[in-house]
Amino acid sequence: MTATSLTYFAIAAAQGAFKNVTVSERTAQAFADGSWILAIVYIVVALGGLAALVTLSGLVLIYVERKLAAHFQCRLGPMRVGWHGIFQTVADAVKLLLKEDVIPEKADKAMHLLAPFLSMMATVMVLGVLPYSPILQITDINIGVLFVTAVSGFGVMGILLGGWSSNNKWSMVGAMRAGAQIISYEISATLALLVVVLFSGSLSLAEIVQSQDAGWWIWRANGVGFVSFIIFVIAVTAEINRTPFDIPEGESELAAGFHTEYSGLRFSFFFLAEFINMFVVSGMTATLFLGGWMPFHIGAWAGFNGFMDLIPPVLWFTGKTSVVIFLIMWFRWTFPRLRVDQLMYLEWKVLLPIGFVNLFAAAVVVLYNLYPFPILVP
Amino acid sequence: MGRVDFNDVKHETRTFAGVTVPVSVVPRFKRQAYPTRFLFSLKSLVDGMRLTFGYLVRPSTVVTRQYPENRATLKFPERYRASLKFKFDENGYQSCNGCGSCERACPNGSIILETRKGATGKNEIERYIWRMDSCVLCNACVEACSFGSLEMSHDFENAVYDRRLLVYTLNRYAGPTANVLLKEENLEAREAMMTKIDAYGGQVPMNGYALPTVAALGTPREKAATDGKGEAS
Amino acid sequence: MTVRVRTLDELLTPPAAGSSALSTQEYFVNMGPQHPIAHGSLRLVLRLDGETVKEVIPVPGFVHRGIEKMCEKLNPRQIIHLTDRLDYLSAVMNNWGVAKAVEKAANIETNGRIETIRTLMSELQRIQSHMLWWGVLGMDLGAYTAFLYAFRDREIISELFEETIGARLTMNYVRPGGVMFDILPDFQEKVKKLLKYLGPIIDEYDTLLSGNVILQERLRNVGVLDGKKAVALGCTGPVLRASGVPLDLRKLTPYGRYGDVEFNVAVGSKGDCWDRYYTRMEEIRQSMRIIEQLIDSIPEGPVNVLRASARISIPEGTYYDQIETARGVLGVMLVSDGKSPSPYRVHFRSPNFNNLWAVTALAPGWRIADIITIQSSLDLVIPDIDR
Repeated sequence: MTATSLTYFAIAAAQGAFKNVTVSERTAQAFADGSWILAIVYIVVALGGLAALVTLSGLVLIYVERKLAAHFQCRLGPMRVGWHGIFQTVADAVKLLLKEDVIPEKADKAMHLLAPFLSMMATVMVLGVLPYSPILQITDINIGVLFVTAVSGFGVMGILLGGWSSNNKWSMVGAMRAGAQIISYEISATLALLVVVLFSGSLSLAEIVQSQDAGWWIWRANGVGFVSFIIFVIAVTAEINRTPFDIPEGESELAAGFHTEYSGLRFSFFFLAEFINMFVVSGMTATLFLGGWMPFHIGAWAGFNGFMDLIPPVLWFTGKTSVVIFLIMWFRWTFPRLRVDQLMYLEWKVLLPIGFVNLFAAAVVVLYNLYPFPILVP
Repeated sequence: MGRVDFNDVKHETRTFAGVTVPVSVVPRFKRQAYPTRFLFSLKSLVDGMRLTFGYLVRPSTVVTRQYPENRATLKFPERYRASLKFKFDENGYQSCNGCGSCERACPNGSIILETRKGATGKNEIERYIWRMDSCVLCNACVEACSFGSLEMSHDFENAVYDRRLLVYTLNRYAGPTANVLLKEENLEAREAMMTKIDAYGGQVPMNGYALPTVAALGTPREKAATDGKGEAS
Repeated sequence: MTVRVRTLDELLTPPAAGSSALSTQEYFVNMGPQHPIAHGSLRLVLRLDGETVKEVIPVPGFVHRGIEKMCEKLNPRQIIHLTDRLDYLSAVMNNWGVAKAVEKAANIETNGRIETIRTLMSELQRIQSHMLWWGVLGMDLGAYTAFLYAFRDREIISELFEETIGARLTMNYVRPGGVMFDILPDFQEKVKKLLKYLGPIIDEYDTLLSGNVILQERLRNVGVLDGKKAVALGCTGPVLRASGVPLDLRKLTPYGRYGDVEFNVAVGSKGDCWDRYYTRMEEIRQSMRIIEQLIDSIPEGPVNVLRASARISIPEGTYYDQIETARGVLGVMLVSDGKSPSPYRVHFRSPNFNNLWAVTALAPGWRIADIITIQSSLDLVIPDIDR
């Protein structure tokens, strides 16, 4: 394959595939054209796709987590069910489904039943606005970033409710910890995210991805982007309650934290929500800082860029998300957990001031066009 | 690393209770300015992550042994204690004469010896009962045996669904020791001295025998023989 | 000094709620007997104000097996196997404690080989025990990887025990008048290999956990136990030494071969969780030093000066001897009537029982998470508390 043909592919890809058409836009178009059946097909495909994504990514992530954990710890991990235990999560899921759903007698039953769904719902709603590829996005809201922040903050409701309604002191402590932690770290995450919004000048996730055409914000934003990337990763790790910030469910302190009293299907909802959350925040990190589905380009290397364009955008998105997921898992299998007051210290006395300074610096950079490195627009 | 220098162990001597004791005072935290502290903290985190990553990328460091897939290659040290066994010579004769020193050495009554007067007038063993359900594998019986009749075997897969199945009869025959048997040249006479006992007896290792706290399990024949004994009654 | 003794019921009476609508109420939570942190069945009743711990009331006794009473029916040789089940992580040392008391009572002289093997095995087990503690501390604080690394390396020592003794945990190795088995011909070589392996591994532990800023912050200045208080509570072992009191029976009343070897007693300066943590890490290194010095100087001789069937008769009287286990001083008191082969009364002064009560002094004022840290840093083995 010659360089010319590669360039040709690149141009073709840039013109055709990179145009944003979301599923909701297609549906609206179909409605406008009067083809109801097509519109319904689109809706069904979107919903089915979301459901498939939730299930599949949950299963895959749990398997990957177990395998990674094992190899970090000089173990093999699941090896029995299927080749290298590949169906272990499926077996576990079946086991969880078949288990008795115990509801404590003194629990607030309605709330106890509702909580896992609230937790799950918040997660799934974010999945709807993530741009997986130019043509694979359920809907693009013009205030997408705001939507994500608002909805993911909603997930804490499920945790609080679950902990409170269980009528168990450990659950209660866990839920209160979770509330304090998630709401605190939301601030830092938002501050870091605003930096990207400043640079890209848009709140729409699709447009944020498009704005990284010339380079990903993690390095194109001259340092501030990198700092906000680090803050964002730390903050979202805390938001999804993973080690070193897993104090709401810290198993050696609170038995199992807010989901102590949950079992069977309802427990698996919390469990799954945790893993989907990890996918969501990693996807967000990839979208905001690592160019989303944008291929990796280096300046004027047309051949290299063209080759990179050949890789489908979905793979780019998945790859970048996987890197962040790996990072978060790596944290978990290396670090001990923080104490609740240290967690607050880290947020309010370390991350928040740095976040504010960083946001201010970003504003200055954007306002006065202080880009030390030239930005290469293809 | 971090704020602690691990090489900073202070070696001193202290006098305590009239004895001069050389001590190593363990390192503590150094005062560090904020930026240094921050950087050192970050470095300590990165160091840890590098260490775990090193293990992740080297599959040769995996130490998992996959039991039971590796059953064929499973090796035990010679002295490994997993269950008690009788030693038999090449003819299948035992050297236990029922002296009872193991029974006395056993700290929790896991060994019950039943003897009888043999044809030669000597004491000989009728049934050697070993209760694995109460045995702690302390090796005291093997140590106490001055005839080398007992040994610890490596059979460790002893899980059963009924603890009564953990009561074993160790001897294969009731009768005299190898020494006594070998003096008798006539094979038939030898056989006559021995009463066969099914050593492990399949599902019924006690052969339907009942003990004070362990009821009989087993065949109707044995049940009839031991009716009225054991916990079931 | 007067001590006000309160009953458990009295302790657990919930305090009245405040009058104002915004006032908070203290509450009680059971940590254990079934709780992931309890390394056995230990019940800690916590009086909490939000996350802050007001009071800790330990309620031991869930694993009480009446070992002391059982000893009254057994002869000295049989008693040994029960001591495996006190502090199961220092089985050899517990065995030795009883053997030492019996030897003192019955006037049995052992030889150099026996004492060297006992010392070597004890130090190996001290390393093994501290390694397990290190891993468990990591796990309690959320670093699960540390736990598995510790088990991976502990396995090497376990296998060494398995080869020499035939068991990994409840070894029943030291008998009155000797040890049960002689060491194998390749034992020395294997131990040397082990030491060579352990050096870098302990440094690795320092990189993974000790150096980690999160762990340091979790341990630093948490649960400060000053020397006076530690002595008053009867703490021994690394818990006491971390408070700066160099009480180590291996130095104060050298037994075995400890008098012949050079080693330092690891002590702390402040008595917080960090000092307790690093005192043990230093003890691992000192134990390695002891083994290094002894491994090439094992004298020849029989490994048991008594016949296995010899009757050990303890003359009438009360005897006490003590030994430094991985967790502190194990005292063994034997009362013999001089007639029966089994002692009239046996009492164990177990290190963990006294160390447990340090938690009541250390925990108040700290958070729930710090209870975990404090309890881990005390390195409690529950069967040893209850006996």
